[in-house]
Formats: sequence, C-alpha cells, structure tokens
Amino acid sequence: MQRQQSLLALILVLVIAAIAVIATIPIPLGLDLRGGSQLTIQVKPAPGMKEITERELEGVQKVVEGRINGLGVSEPVIQTVGADKILVQLPGVNDPEQAERVLGGTAQLEFRKQKPGTETQLFAFQSSRAELKAKQQELRNSTDKAAINKNQEELQKNNQAILELFESTDPPLNGKYLQDAYGEPTQQGNNWNVAIRFEQKGGELFADLTKNLAGTGRSIGIFLDNELISAPVVGPEFAATGITGGAAVITGRFTPQQANDLGVQLRGGALPVPVEIAEIRTVGATLGKDSIISSIYAGSGGLLLVLIFMILYYRLPGLIANIALIIYAILTWACFALLGVTLTLPGIAGFILSIGMAVDANVLIFERTREELQAGKSLYRSVESGFYRAFSSILDGNVTTVIACAALFWLGAGLVKGFALTLALGVAVSMFTAITCSRTFMFLAISIPALRKPEYYCPNLSASGASNKTEVAQ
Amino acid sequence: MKLSINKSRSLWWTISCAVILAGIISMVISWQNPNIRAPLRPSLDFIGGTRLQFERDCSQPKNCEQPIDINVVREVAKEQGLGDSSIQIVADQETRKENGILIRTKNLNRDQRTQLQNALSAKVGTFDQQKNQIDTVGPTLGRELFTSGIIALVVSFAGIIVYLAFRFQLDYAVFAIIALFHDVLITVGIFSILGLVLGTEVDSLFIVALLTITGFSVNDTVVIYDRIRETLKTNPNRPIAEIVDDAVNQTLSRSINTTLTTLLTLFAIFLFGGETLKNFALALIIGFIAGAYSSIFIASTLLALWRERTGKPNLGTNSEAFDASADS
Repeated sequence: MQRQQSLLALILVLVIAAIAVIATIPIPLGLDLRGGSQLTIQVKPAPGMKEITERELEGVQKVVEGRINGLGVSEPVIQTVGADKILVQLPGVNDPEQAERVLGGTAQLEFRKQKPGTETQLFAFQSSRAELKAKQQELRNSTDKAAINKNQEELQKNNQAILELFESTDPPLNGKYLQDAYGEPTQQGNNWNVAIRFEQKGGELFADLTKNLAGTGRSIGIFLDNELISAPVVGPEFAATGITGGAAVITGRFTPQQANDLGVQLRGGALPVPVEIAEIRTVGATLGKDSIISSIYAGSGGLLLVLIFMILYYRLPGLIANIALIIYAILTWACFALLGVTLTLPGIAGFILSIGMAVDANVLIFERTREELQAGKSLYRSVESGFYRAFSSILDGNVTTVIACAALFWLGAGLVKGFALTLALGVAVSMFTAITCSRTFMFLAISIPALRKPEYYCPNLSASGASNKTEVAQ
Repeated sequence: MKLSINKSRSLWWTISCAVILAGIISMVISWQNPNIRAPLRPSLDFIGGTRLQFERDCSQPKNCEQPIDINVVREVAKEQGLGDSSIQIVADQETRKENGILIRTKNLNRDQRTQLQNALSAKVGTFDQQKNQIDTVGPTLGRELFTSGIIALVVSFAGIIVYLAFRFQLDYAVFAIIALFHDVLITVGIFSILGLVLGTEVDSLFIVALLTITGFSVNDTVVIYDRIRETLKTNPNRPIAEIVDDAVNQTLSRSINTTLTTLLTLFAIFLFGGETLKNFALALIIGFIAGAYSSIFIASTLLALWRERTGKPNLGTNSEAFDASADS
C-alpha cells in the first residue's frame, strides 16, 4: 500500500508537471501542417558566363541547404525551379529578413595565407570553433531562440577572429581561378580527399602562395563565404618551386560524403554566381489546413471508439487502461515540447503508432490476467502474474522498435528522423505508463472491496476466451 | 474457437505468395510502362514536375472579396485529373493577403496549363496575367534522403536480428524479418497495382507509412514468439506444430484486439479525413492487416516447418548445448 501511494503521488506530480509544460511551451508545427515563408532565389550567370548549367544550380542548392541548416530550421523544402531558380520553403514565418541576409550572399571561395606568428592563436580559435559547431548541432532541434542566436553570434565572432589571422594574396586567389573540385579516395583508401584544379593563372598564383608558406608551419586558409573550411599546411619539400601544375589536394580525413559535399560546395563557390532573393511570401500548409482539421476530427473519433471498445471488452481494467492512455498522451506531448520537436505529419504518425503500442501493452496484460482468472487463480494473483508474464512480450516488442528507431534517427534524414524520434519517445513513455500507471491503478482497484469482483475483470468467467478451462475462480 | 494453423500451412503461404506475386508482376509492368518507368508511380516529391503560381488581380472590383477556398482549388484540380498535386495558398507581395495559389503538379503541356488556369479562374476570380509564374521544379525528396533511408532500414534490420537472436534464437529472428518483408512487399505491391489501375502515386508520406509498418510488424511477431518460447520452456517434448498452434490461439484475441483498435483510428482517417491523408491511411491499413496476418499465419508456421525439418531440439531459449547444432 505504501509503495502504491508513493507511486500514485509520483504519477500525479508528473501529470501536473506535464500539463504545465504543455501550457507554457507550444510545439512548433512543420511546413506540412502550418505553412511558413517561401523564398525564391534567382541564380544569375556571373559576368562572362553564358548561362547557368545544372551543375552550377546543384552547387548553389548545396550552399543554400548548408546555410539553411546553419539557420537551424528543421525539415525545410528546397527544390530547383526551372533552370536558374531555387525555391525554399521554411516552416514557420521566422524572420524572413534573416533568411534573406543569409541566403542572399554569394558562395565565395578564397585561398588566403596565414600571417606569421599566429599559429597558437589559430589553434585556439579552431578548437573553440569546433565546440561552437557541435553546440550548434545540438541546438538545431531546440526552440531556445536566445541560445541559438547567442551561439550564432559567438560563431560569427570566432569567424571574424580567424579571418584576421589570414591575409589575401595579391591578386586574391578566389573561386574565379578554380576549374574543378571533387572528392576522391586516398591511396590507402580509408579516407577521402578533395582534389582541386586551378586554371592557368590560378595555378601560378597557387604556386606562389605555396612557395611562400612551404615549411613555415603556417597554413593555407581555404575560406568559403569568409568562413574557414580547411587549413592545410604545405610541406617543406615545396619550398623551392611551390606546388605547381595547378592541382592540389585538401586532406582532412573526410568521409566520402564530406569530400563530395566539399567538392560540390567548392564548385558552387568556385563560380561566384550572384544570387538574389527574387521574392519572399508566406505560404499555407502543404497538406492543407482543412485536410488536417478533418483528419484530426476523424482520428479523434477513432480514438474515442478505441476507448469505448476497451471498456466494453475489458470492463474495469479497460477503464483503467484508458486513464493510463490519457496520461500517456499527456506525458508524451510534454516530452515533445521539452525536446523542441517540430511536429510534422511523419511525427504524428510515429505518435499514433506509439499509442497503438501503448494500447497493445495494456491488452497483453489484461489478456494474461484473464487467462489466470480462468485458470482458477485468485484475483490478486491473477493481476500480479498478468503483469509479470506480459512483461517480456512488451519489453521485446518495444526494444526491437527502439533499435529500429535508433538506426533511423542516426542514419536517416528529414522526415525519417522526425518519425523515428517521436516513435522512440512514445515507446519509452508507453513502457512507463503501461507498467507503472496501469499497474498502480489496478492494485488500487483491487484494494477497494467494492471492486473486488472477478466479473468486473473478466465477463462470464466460464465461457470465454481461448482457454478451455471451465472452473470458476472465487 | 480454435485455429489449427499448421494444418493448412500451404494455404496461408499460397494466399501470401499470390498477393505478393500479383504485386511483383504489377511492378514489372509498371517498370515497363513508358509513362511510369518505376515499380510504383512516383509523385512529384521524387521526380519533380511543373509549378504554377497564379495571383488574383485585385485591381478589378469585387475580384478579391472572397478568400480563396483551398477545397474549391482542389476540386478543380481533381476534375482536371490532377488530384495528386500539392496545393498551397500563398500571400501576394503587396497586400499580404492570401490571393495566390501555388500548385506543384506533374509535367503539363501548354494546353493543359491553360485549361487549368481557365477552370480555376472561373471558380476563384480573374488572375493577373502579369504575375503568373510557370516553371519546372526538381524533386523535393532527393536521392540522398532515399539512399540514407534505405541504409538506415538495413542497419535497423540487422539490429533487430541481433537482438532477437540474442533473446530468442537466430531462426526466430530470420523469420521475423521475413514476415516484415512480407508486409512491406504486400503494401508496395498493392500500391503498385493501384498505381496502374487508379493512377495512385506514392509520395514521401508513403515512405513514412512503410517505416510505420515495419515497426508494427516486428512488434506483432515478437508477441507470438514470446508465447511460443514460453510454451516450449514448459513442454519441451510436445510437437512443435502443436506448440505453435497453442501459442497463436492464446494470443489470438490480443492480436485481433490490437489490430482492431489501431485500424479503427486509421479507417476513421481514411473514410472521413482529409484528401491529402487518404493514401497514407490506406497504406497503413493494408500494412497493418498484412502485419497481423503474417505474424499469425506466416512467421509462426515457417518456424514450425523449419524446426520440424531441421529436427532441432525444442528448446525455446538459447542454451550452449544446442548452439552448436543450431548453426549447422
């Protein structure tokens, strides 16, 4: 009894806390449910260029994607439009001006040389930069705007500081001189490098730059949009002539993906293609508000039917399961709010599936309880062993689901990630509610003499269910 | 009510094989079809298409008094055979009021575009010809998302196999995954047939539905396995077919109830929910029914057959004494 009372108190506190969380932290909705702002980016041929090819468009798209991720927007829609435009839809109308600022600049690549005597400073800045980047990743899914902005500011400052340790060559060796860039595996084949090719003038400039830096320990700063993406060091063997031939390799223990991305980015940056925001406007939800609202009504109706079914079929335990389910829904929703999940339809699908699994856990327990009652055990023993024996089924089913979710979350992207996260959260919470809430309420019910009638738990004890036993337990 | 599922094993397998085979044939036909060129009819999420943007001319009197009703737009698109389009209401630049329509749809030729525009104009109001935009758009679901999703799925299958092999035995794990593939194949196959017959397209939501089905499928199979394992522990010398039959029967009411409660919600969404979610709900309904079917009739009977054939000692839990024979 003592233990149950403390558990009841715990459940009550949790529910109240969850309701407080839900009331104070709104859950942001994704583009498919709420709409947001839409930017059309016009890509223009640089002076001297005839037209934009698909490859350049892809390069620009990559840059835009990278920058949007930098903004910390989850699940944006990015697609090419026609031969020279990119359409970006951002969920939630969050400051289109900022989006405009970030997306409006060109992707400019430049090779700069490090100023003498700044090695230690550079090292310090680079390590703090790595920390900031990691933090940015963490913050990406949170709704803490202040923290995101602060992190952005710190990164900006850090960028600026790094920028000051480098100086441009004369004339600046920038994307103008780059012919090509692509990822390629290293000789040993366990890492990837990015190979770059300059055209002739660029090759000469690069040879000068490397000759200057060879053996000094100072690095070449490779900057994209004034942000350091790599700082390779030139070996002393190039001190005489520099690296000639107009080809260079950026090593940096890249994964194939990273190397290819960088190649694409460099190619994109290699064309200082001017882009400009052609228009910004707000758009409605992709799924249509009316469609969502009618689906919500339909889904709620369905859920109500489930609750009624549970009571009709399982009697008192069904009622208890319903209470546990409602608590489950409240707790899960609060978890979403706390973790800053952006809710999209895939996320809701994960949530609904987890509700199904939560119902399943209760059904398993009650079916077991029924079997035990039919086998002639006392009410208390039946409930006790119902929980005990259903546990392994529930555990195995849920662990396999969580394993799948983990893989989908780490390796998947976009909507796959959103689905995995909500499902995993839901399963974790449902383990708690099915085992703890249902259990506590059940034992509470048994401890009340008026409710201690087996027929409340199992209708017509003698002729139902899968068992052929016919003795009545009392 | 008592099912002896192992008596008519071949019947259950024939039913499944027939449905899967029909789906595979449909996928092949679909692949050969010059208009589709894929096992399923892909939506513009995967292949891109045409983007049309219309804006009402608000300089004309009474043209912009009524807000645009997205349902009317969707109706018109449906009449033109473009029911699968993505339709959004957009605000115009000057007034910031929702006077624009953005439609992303399959590739249209000039006549089709004009027809659509005129049909919309008649219902919604006169459009400003100056502000119309027509472009081809690329896919929103890149190859990247698709490949990363497939890799993620393969890894998760491997993880599930390892876990189930550890908790049960390797053969259980393999049949659970076979049942999972069965469910996915049936869903994909039926949607391929629907694509051929009704022109149903698969979009990003279909991918999400498949993920959901995999989650449900394994969960469902594991519950029956758990019962088989338990029964084996207590009666190691009974014939495996009997044990499997018993386990299925003992969990039958649970299987039916769980599937029923989940399907209640899905049917509600399918019948009364919004247009955009109908296919999503349908995919889940097919997948869940296949999932319940496969855990009762496929995964368990395969296990029984396998154990009878290999003459493995009926031991439901991993034990070192039998591990050597388990792998031979």
